[in-house]
Amino acid sequence: MTKTSAIAIQIVTGDARPIYRQIVDGIRIEIATGNIQHGSKLPSVRALAIQLTINANTVAKAYAELTAQGLLESRKGLGIFVAEPKQMLSRDEQEKRLQEASQRFINDVMYLDFSPEELTAYLLNELQQLQTT
Amino acid sequence: MTDYIIETQALTKRFGAKTALNQCELNIPRGGIHAFIGANGAGKSTLFRILLGLEQQTSGSCKILGHDCQALTPELRGRIGYVNEEHTLPLWMNASEVTQMQRNLYPNWRQDIYDSVIGHFDVQPNQKVAQLSRGERAGLNLSIALAQAPDVLILDEPTLGLDVVAKQAFLEALMYTETDINSTIIYCSHQMEEIERVAENLIIMESGEVKYMATPEDFCQRINYWICDLEADLSSIANISKVLSAKYIEGQCHIITVDQDIEEFKSFLEKHGAGDPIIAPINLEKAISSVLSKNHRSPTKVD
Repeated sequence: MTKTSAIAIQIVTGDARPIYRQIVDGIRIEIATGNIQHGSKLPSVRALAIQLTINANTVAKAYAELTAQGLLESRKGLGIFVAEPKQMLSRDEQEKRLQEASQRFINDVMYLDFSPEELTAYLLNELQQLQTT
Repeated sequence: MTDYIIETQALTKRFGAKTALNQCELNIPRGGIHAFIGANGAGKSTLFRILLGLEQQTSGSCKILGHDCQALTPELRGRIGYVNEEHTLPLWMNASEVTQMQRNLYPNWRQDIYDSVIGHFDVQPNQKVAQLSRGERAGLNLSIALAQAPDVLILDEPTLGLDVVAKQAFLEALMYTETDINSTIIYCSHQMEEIERVAENLIIMESGEVKYMATPEDFCQRINYWICDLEADLSSIANISKVLSAKYIEGQCHIITVDQDIEEFKSFLEKHGAGDPIIAPINLEKAISSVLSKNHRSPTKVD
């Protein structure tokens, strides 16, 4: 039997994001940062529900969304696994998301005292580190 | 077999001049955890008492498990669990006598569930119910209710008075009961944090009527929180039916709306001279309290 990878995420009540959205975001970050490896097995719906003291259907909904996004895959009788990276989005959609993400980023950094050169150098460095992990 | 575990039609209950339930229409599907929310006196407990056949309605119909609530057989009652907020148990019995009695009444009795929940409380089998603290009595009562493994479990403010550890243990057991025994849980609470964690369906009651029934996410999406610069008489805005509240905070107008089309309201605000209307995120607790405060009783103004 495959060992289950723990999901080290926290949910908060009273947040404007519903709980399933917090789980989706949390797991995406864990996968992106390499804390959860590709191909590893995730806790069952019930186990994560007990860990976070939330309704199992909320976890099921989050897993379903991550599966639809191509980040997780369900293997019959074995459980939920982190999928090997593959692109589910069309080129247009990817460009749209890139544009939205960069707008948010620019919004956050434009009042800081960094030159565009410093920012791009910093970003490039961070992205390269992600690729090596 | 009906798909609804609870069905009411034009259910009305009056206590003298006071109307506790007013033409209440409610259909609760089988399965899941349903949270009842409402201000004090919204009619939640009255509805529960009618569902259990403890109280007779003034008019209308009310069914549980597909049967009329006024004609429940002992067999049907064995499939319905109930925990009231006072955790009423026979004071003169000791804990083991109470559980023995329950075991005889409920054919699906699950000793393993009872043991796993009661283990979190310091309740000795030979202790009289009268000697238990409020929290311990709640623990005993909840352990019993969950161990009955009923088809439908009605809980009226079950976690009131529990410490954090006991509450956690209870919530875990509750979710276990829902998923593994397929109970439908009807849950009334004022604890928003708990509701946000466990409820799949919100049923919001007001003045004896069901005002909203939706999943927490869908419900939140119906509520919008607007902030804008607006120089206008707020009373005219507050009287629009889709506006729940409108107030000034340091010169900016904060408006909460329900089921209001975003573009339509934006152009409405701009037409009234509002600058930069924006929508702020809103959490479940704020969304619920906005809805409840619209018609909540407040002291009558004395001029």
